[in-house]
This record gives sequence, structure tokens and C-alpha cells, in this order.
Amino acid sequence: MLADLFDPAFADSVARIAVPILLASLGGAICHRAGVFNIALEGFILMGAFAAVLGTFMLGHVFWGVLSAILAGIFMGLLFAEFHLRRPGDAIVVSIALNLIGLGLTTYLLRSVLGVSGVFQNEALGKITEINLPVIESLPVFGSFLSGQSILFYVSIFLVILLHYIYSRHKLGFWMRAAGENPLALKTVGIKPTPVKLLALVLCGVCCGLAGAQLSISNVSLFVENMSAGRGWIAVVIVLVTNGRPIPILGLVLLFGFVDSLSLRLQGFGFPQQFTEMMPYIASLVALIFVSIRRMKNLVGMRGYDNG
Amino acid sequence: MKQFKFLYFLKHNTVRYFMTALSLFFILLLLLNLADASFFEASQAFLKSAFGGRRYAYLYVTISRCALITGMAIAALIAFRAGLINIGGEGQLVIGGFAAAFVSIYSGVTGVPGIILAILSAMIGGGLWAVLAGLMKLKLGVPILVGTLLLNYPARYITSYFVSHPFRDVASGMPQTLLLDKSLWLPFIEGTRLDTGFIFILIVYGFVLIYSHRSVPGYHAKMTGLSIEFAATSGINIFNTTLKTLAFSGAIAGLVGAIAVLGIHHRFTDGMLVQPLYAWTGIVAALLINLVPWAILPAGFFFASLTSGASGMERTADVPKEIAIIIQGIIILFVASRATGIASDTKNKEEGN
Amino acid sequence: MFAQLHDISVNFGEVRALDSVSLDISPNQIHAVVGENGAGKSTLMSVLFGLNVNYGGQIFINDTRKTWATPSDAIKAGIGMVHQHFMLIESMTVLENIILGSEPNKYLGFLDFQLAEKKISNLLETYNFSINLHQTVDKLSVGQRQMVEILKTLYRSAELIILDEPTAVLTPAERLDLFNSLQDFKNAGKSIILITHKIDEVIANADHVSVMRAGQLISSLPIDGTSQTQISEEIVGVSKTKSISRKKIKAGSVKLNLSNLDILGMPQIGNAFNLEVKASEIVGIAGVAGNGQSELIEAIIGLRSSKSGFIEICSRDVTGADISTRRDVGLCYIPEDRQKRGLALGAQLSENASISSLVSKAFSKGPFLRKTKIRNFTEGLIKKFDVKASSPSALASSLSGGNKQKLIIARELSLESDVIIAENPTWGVDLGAINQIHHELLSMRENGHAILLVSSDLDEILTLSDRVLVMFESELSQSFCTEKVTREELGKLMLMKASDKKEQKKINTA
Repeated sequence: MLADLFDPAFADSVARIAVPILLASLGGAICHRAGVFNIALEGFILMGAFAAVLGTFMLGHVFWGVLSAILAGIFMGLLFAEFHLRRPGDAIVVSIALNLIGLGLTTYLLRSVLGVSGVFQNEALGKITEINLPVIESLPVFGSFLSGQSILFYVSIFLVILLHYIYSRHKLGFWMRAAGENPLALKTVGIKPTPVKLLALVLCGVCCGLAGAQLSISNVSLFVENMSAGRGWIAVVIVLVTNGRPIPILGLVLLFGFVDSLSLRLQGFGFPQQFTEMMPYIASLVALIFVSIRRMKNLVGMRGYDNG
Repeated sequence: MKQFKFLYFLKHNTVRYFMTALSLFFILLLLLNLADASFFEASQAFLKSAFGGRRYAYLYVTISRCALITGMAIAALIAFRAGLINIGGEGQLVIGGFAAAFVSIYSGVTGVPGIILAILSAMIGGGLWAVLAGLMKLKLGVPILVGTLLLNYPARYITSYFVSHPFRDVASGMPQTLLLDKSLWLPFIEGTRLDTGFIFILIVYGFVLIYSHRSVPGYHAKMTGLSIEFAATSGINIFNTTLKTLAFSGAIAGLVGAIAVLGIHHRFTDGMLVQPLYAWTGIVAALLINLVPWAILPAGFFFASLTSGASGMERTADVPKEIAIIIQGIIILFVASRATGIASDTKNKEEGN
Repeated sequence: MFAQLHDISVNFGEVRALDSVSLDISPNQIHAVVGENGAGKSTLMSVLFGLNVNYGGQIFINDTRKTWATPSDAIKAGIGMVHQHFMLIESMTVLENIILGSEPNKYLGFLDFQLAEKKISNLLETYNFSINLHQTVDKLSVGQRQMVEILKTLYRSAELIILDEPTAVLTPAERLDLFNSLQDFKNAGKSIILITHKIDEVIANADHVSVMRAGQLISSLPIDGTSQTQISEEIVGVSKTKSISRKKIKAGSVKLNLSNLDILGMPQIGNAFNLEVKASEIVGIAGVAGNGQSELIEAIIGLRSSKSGFIEICSRDVTGADISTRRDVGLCYIPEDRQKRGLALGAQLSENASISSLVSKAFSKGPFLRKTKIRNFTEGLIKKFDVKASSPSALASSLSGGNKQKLIIARELSLESDVIIAENPTWGVDLGAINQIHHELLSMRENGHAILLVSSDLDEILTLSDRVLVMFESELSQSFCTEKVTREELGKLMLMKASDKKEQKKINTA
């Protein structure tokens, strides 16, 4: 039975489930570390996924699809910045608005521009190139995890490592951390925090756009209304649990991919579908509870209230 | 001096409101253009569907919808005023709706006692679901925002499982419960096709006005929302206030679920309370009016009209009804860009800008 | 560096915060700028440092006119500033904090840590500093943090260093080190601007002193041409300081009693607390902030739990009781942080004024509020304490700092609780209000209330208290009769473990 569960297809599905969440979590982490409480990841991803399909369909190649997804993500990031950084909008309120706009706009455009409701599918939609790594692909189990994935899989792994080094030894990483922890301190050494936060929002847009592209033109080649289906919220939880540190994010996302794939497999053994769909949220909740308890222990002795 | 201030206010804000309206108008034109609809045709369809129809049939739909949206807006408002960012109204609504349907169908109580029982179970169900998030915050440290949100999904999927498997109306072929006994349906108002659900919401509205402005628990909740440290040092019991407020907020969401089941759908269908985004629209309405209690009813009516009108535009002018969601989002963006009273900490670190 | 500020004026809304202030700063000098809170010292410095760019007047550096768009322009011109509230990133190391914003580039924006470390090590050697560069800042003491701030300016080769209230948070020993360093900088040719309101420090260390009052420069003289009395008169204007006299009253029965109280989450490992406050008695707790005073107060109020021991209010054990029970039994609290703990800034004055009594149910009828009663009560408080407010329905955020504090004190004292906890009650309040607050506290004492006064202002403690204790590293010293102990002795104790019994005895018998 175990062999039935953990076969190469299982490993492959772990990777496919993980990539969009990983990219979105990295985007969320960039904002979190820079002190922007962005919980509009859901809306960002949706826009990316739709733009990827639209770009591919209109311009005829997945390259344009990926580029459109990135631009759509950046657009959302700039919207966020306009209303949260330039005007004094509360981040939570702006996020709620952008989530609604992401959902409303993609569905609206799906019907008015592509002329269908529900699902858009077309032969003209391709998939992002998948890369087969020689030697590695023949490894047992891990072969199908590490090889034969879309370019974005490798890009996202690279981004994890890059981000890790940016935070520990690049000046932009320093500025972003400072902007998040103590913006006034950053200002007094002569660097304005607002452009740094703007940069974080734009980078977050890029990551979430890519996450959307992975969903719509890599894992499948179609667009469904509300396609992100809560992945943005799971990414938000992952960012909170890991405090936005890239390496732990990778670990946690892989764990999620594993749990999710496992529950998908269990569906084959007769577990109801709703159970499968609920799993990621239950897992998020468990992870969050685990971390929250640990953080609460740091507030030794305080009672009546805590800050947070 | 007072006059001067008033003029100053008018001058400053008229320009801003005018600019907001203007940008909204252009975005609207652009969207309509994408859907190949004429502005005139679309707005006619909008008005008819929001307030007109044969013997005002559409207006009744709008009022019915207004009841649900206002109810969810009140649920959000109560929690937000206490600084509890309860964005899990959806889950509390779904639990309430299912509880109402389940109790109505399987308790065997009919007539008015049945209705009362169904509503009470819905309120208890919704309230407990919200309290669960409160306990996770107080006992385990999980932020209310994330806790309430994440609880939406189990609520959605567990009820979905129930109506797909054990409690399914197999004959209907849809994931839904059996139809309720006719004696449990909320009656129509004499001579109209308007169900009495909105009366419950009017009662709640009045109750909330008194609660917010004149009651001790409402005062405690407000002070806790404005400054939790101050409230705690002054002797307000934060633990109780948090749980009570969440229970109240969740109970009202549950009541809205019961009204939707007893008054409109007469059964519980999978997704019927999630898809129309009642909970999110309610949150948006509460934010729009900056958590001022009396304004919640007009705000609810505004968004109900928007949704009804948009459905009309879809029917007659072929404009996707999601235009209503986009407009909601845009309005909130502009409103949020005035400082809002919502007590999230996200602005505290902004001194450096 | 020669720096000249010429005719600087700043307006905040309709308030004129700086009124044509001109100041010359010369190299090889420590130039003290003194004045009360709100005299405009910090505003002037934020202009010089480029943090405030909306000003009238001119800045000259070495005789060339300069304008700054941001602090980085000022930094490039050789100006460094050590802010009163440290501008550090807690999760970063000392090294990372020092180079933040002026990072040495290796390639593509990645940092050259070796170069930075070499440069900073040189600085450490030159000025005889010792600090672990790879320690994260959250683990540093206040004094060490200040060292990091100074290193930040030195690393940027500042020729003019501004220090805003640098000694407020330091222990006397740390203070000494700081002034030694400042002398070194001065001898190395740098200019130092020292903002402070402690005149004795100025007399002992500065070369030149400028006095500011209400946005204006009152005088600017070499230190030799002036005296302590002259400076203090100039700071205050016409002498308003009237000495307050405490009537002799016999203390009554014990109202607040801590017995072997072991509090959770103290900043240092200390001993269990024993403390008694009697009716008609003010007991002062002195000490440098951060030595466990706030934790002790939180435990008494009921915001913090304890491991063992007990707390009695009016002979009733309230160790496990919640805040509202303790308040009912007879406790009120004037918190140090009025913005957070003392008021809800977004609520009306009446809502703020009635909260303590509401909790005790005086202003409610069943579940309903008695609005008229609340309003009348608030109007009474406003009148009695001379709070400058437009109406009881005004928002608390519209009050000035002093009036906020008056409202809080009015509210808490109106409860007539047996035990009053006052935590830095006059912190950041103007002189007139300070006198009024002191007066009120003393009259509460005469009316038989037991008052626990925690203050980092030693003069306040000595003026008001009947008995005084010193807190250091989460331990309380024994209690001294105020008349039998001097400022200097208490100052020594503020740096000494209570367990060093010998030293204490020496002081006691001295």
C-alpha cells in the first residue's frame, strides 16, 4: 500500500502543488519583511493566472503569457502602493478591496473579453516548457520531483536561495528588513522607507504573477473562475508561520505539497473530496497554532491582554 | 469659525468625492465598453433591476438581499468596533444556514416554534463558530484575522460534505438538503412577494444602535477596540469582552443564514451562501461607512441595489454581473485611502514615511 | 566643522515651534543646547539634520549655504545624530546596524563585510570602544546601544555629532564613559552638540551653552561666562519653582502589602519583593528605568502574574484576583504611558473619564449607560482639574500632553481608592502641571490615601515621598526615610544590588 502511495507520480504532484504556493509565499514574505501587511495575495495570484492565459491566447506564446502575468502582478502591487503608501489606506482594507477586484475583474474579463463563463480552454494555450534533467531524472522517486518540472519550479527554488542571500548580505535586503522593523531608523540613515516598500510590493507582484502563471499555463492550460481557490490565504499563513524567512518557507511549502498530494491520493481510497479540499486549511491552522503557542510563551507572565 | 470649518470641509472633500466619482465613472465606461454595452442601456437595466420590475418584484429581491447584506455588515461592524478583525463571517453564515436547515428538517417541530428553534440553532451555531476563533486567539495566540478566515474553509467543506452525502436530497440530483416543511417558510408581507426576513434584520439594527451607543457591553467593546491596553488596565475583562463580542457577531451571521434558508431558499444548497459573497459584501459595507452604526442600513441597501442592478445588466445588457464586485472593490479602495477607524496595527509602523 | 544656523523658523500648523533661531557651532567644542520639553531643541536639530525640511532661514556649513532634501544630504556633509529614541534594527547585528544605509559594495550591491569590519575595528581602536560586532542589537544594554548609535555617526565620518538627551537612560557609570568619549571626539577636532535638560552635566562637560525657551534662543555663552543658577533661570524664565512642603502626618494602617512576591518575567533575576505602603504615606521607588519597576507595577495592578508570595490591598488577599476586583477593593493607577494605557485617544473625553467608574458600575443602570450622569461627571472633572478641553464630547486625541495627564489623574483620583499607584506621573508635563499634580498627590496623602510613587526623577521622589526605596536589577533596596538620605547616596544605590548588604549599611550609617 505504501508503494501505491509514494510513486513517481506522487513526487511529481508534490512539486506541482508546491510551486504556486511557494512563489506566492515568497511574494508575501517580501512584503512582510518590508513591513507591508499584504493579505491580497489571493487577488494577485488570480490576476496573474488570468493574465497568463489571456497573454498566451492573444499573443500566441507562453512567453507572452508569463510576461503578462508578471505585469498583472506588478499592476496589483502598484495599486496596493497607491492606496496604502501614497494615500493612508489601511493595509487590511486595501487587501480586502484588491481581493475583490482580483476576483471581480478576472471573472468579468473572462466573460466580456474571452466570451465564456466558468472555464476557458483553447488549443492555442500551451504550457510552460518543462525541463528534463539528465541523470537526475532517473533517480528513484526524487527523479520525478526534481526533473521534468516547469521552468518556474527551478526559478522558484533559485528565488528562495537568492532571497536568502539578499536578506543576509545585500543592501536591498538590509533596507527591506529595516523598513519593516523600524522605518524611522532607515529614514535617519538617509534612505526613504516608502520607495523600499514600493519595491517590495512590485517584487511581490512579480512573484504572485508567476504563481498565477504556474497555476493556469503550467499545472493545466486553462482558466477557471476563482482559480486561486484559497492558495493566497495559505501563502499568507505560511508567511506568518515562518516570519517571512525564505528557507523555512521552502520547507513548509514542501510539507504542504506533501500533505495535499497525500490527501488527493487518499481520495482514491474512498475519502470524500471535501476532506481533500479541506486538508490544506486544516494543515495551515495546525501550523499556525503550533507557532502561535510558541510565540505566546515569550510573553511570560502577562495576562489580561497581549499585543497582537 | 464654525462656518469657516464647514466650508473648509466642503471644499476639501467635495473635490475628493468628485474625483472619486469621476474615476469610478471612467472605469465603469471602460468596463462597459469591454462588454460591448452602451452606458444608457446598461444604466436603464441597472435601475429597473434594482428598484423596478413587474409589481416591484425586483425591488423586493433587492430588499431581501439588503436584509442579508445588512445583517452580515452588522456582524462585521460589531466585531470590528471591538478591534476584532472577524473576516470569517462567511463560515459563521454557512454554519448558521446549515444548522437552521438541519434542525428544521430533522427536529420535526413545525410552525412558529419550528421557526424560532431554527433561528436559535442558527445563532448558536454561528456564535460558537466565531467563539472558536476567539478561543484560538486567547488560548493559543492565533490572530483573529487569520483564525476566523481559516475557519471559513472547514465550515464550507464540512457542510458541503453533509449535503453531498449523509443529508442529501438524493431525488433532486443536487448537493442540497430536503425542502423545508411549508409551515417553516417565513411568510410574505401581505400583498407583496417580500419575505419577512428583513423584519428580523430591522430588529437587529435597532438593537445594535442601542448596544453600540447606550449599553455597557457595547461601551466595553468600543474601548477595547480603541485601545486594548487602556481597556485592560482600566479593569475591563478582555477575555470576556472578546468572546462575548465574537459570539454576538457570529450569532448575527448565523441569523442571516437562517433568514436565507427559511425566507428565500427553503433548503440549504452547497455554496448558496458562499457564491454571492454576502459576507465579503457585508465587510465592505461596514468599512465604507467607517463603522458608524446608524449608517449600516443605507450602506447595506446601497450594496444590495448594486448587486441586484448588476444582475439586471447581465440579463438585459449582457454585462457580466461581476461588475458589482469590481465597483465594491474600487469604492473601498478610495474609502480606505481616507484613514479608517479599523483597529488593525498595520499603520503603526508607518512613522518613517 | 563650522556650522551656522541662521534665522531658523518652523511652524507646526498655527504653532510657531521655532522663532528666528541663530546658532553657531565651532569645532573642538562641546556645545550644549538646554531647555525644557517643548522649548524647540529637538525641532532645531531635526532641521540641522535634514529630518525637517519645512523651515525658514539658512544653514551654512564651513561658510557655504546648504539645503538638505533628506538626512542623507546632511550625513554626506558630515553631520551625525544620535537620537533620543535609538534608531536601531533589533534583529540585526551591531555591524549590520552600523553600515545600514552606507554599505560597502562588493559586487552588484552585495556587501563587503570584511571591509566594513576592518573600518569599524579601526574606529573601535581609535576611540577605545569595546563591543562585539556580531551580537544582535536586541541583546545589548542601553549603554551599548548608544555606543552603536555613536559608531554609526563615526563610521559615516561625521565631523559634527548631535546627541539628543543622551544621558536620560544611562546609569551614572555609563554617563561617565559617554562624556569621556565625547572629550576624545572633541580633541580629535569634531564638534559636538549636546541636547539636554540636566544643567549639572552641562556645567561639568560643555564648553559653550545655548539656552532655548518657547521656540526662541535666550542666550548663547561660553561656559566660563555663566553659572548654574543663571542657566536655570534662563531655562524657566521668571522663577516659577516654588518649593512644596509636606505636612508632617503620622502614617496609618498598612493599605498595600507585598509579601515575598515573586513576579514572572522580570528583566533580571532578582529577589522576591516585600513592600508596605501605609495610609497617609507616600512611598517612592527610585531607579534607572528598565530595572523591573514596570513589571512590579504590572504585578500590583494585575496585568502580570506571580509565581509565589501574595499581594494584599486593604488587608484583602488579591494575589489571584483580576484587575477590576483589585480596583473594587481599592486601587487606582496613574500609568506612565498615557497614550497607550491611560487613554483611548479615539474615544471622547467622557468615555475616557468614566471608564474606571463604569467598570465599578457607578454609571450604569442594568446594561445601560447613564449618559447624563457621565457627562456631568466629566464636566466636573474638567473644571476641577482645569483641563483645557472644548467639551466632554471632544476626542481625547485633541488634548495636549499635559491636559491628557491631568484628565487621567483627575479620573483616577476621583475614585478615592485607598491605594494609589503613580508611575512617573509628571513625565513630559510642563512646569505648571507638575506643580498641580504634586499638589494633588500630597493632598491625597493628607486625606489618608496610601500612595506608591515610582519615578525615575529623583527630585520628584525626594520632594513627595515619606520613605524611599531604590530598585536595581529587579531588586528593591531597604527603605530609607527621605529626611535621612541624600541624593548622592540614592544615586549610588541605583547602581548596586540590594544583596550587597555591606555597601548599603555603609550608606545607611554614613
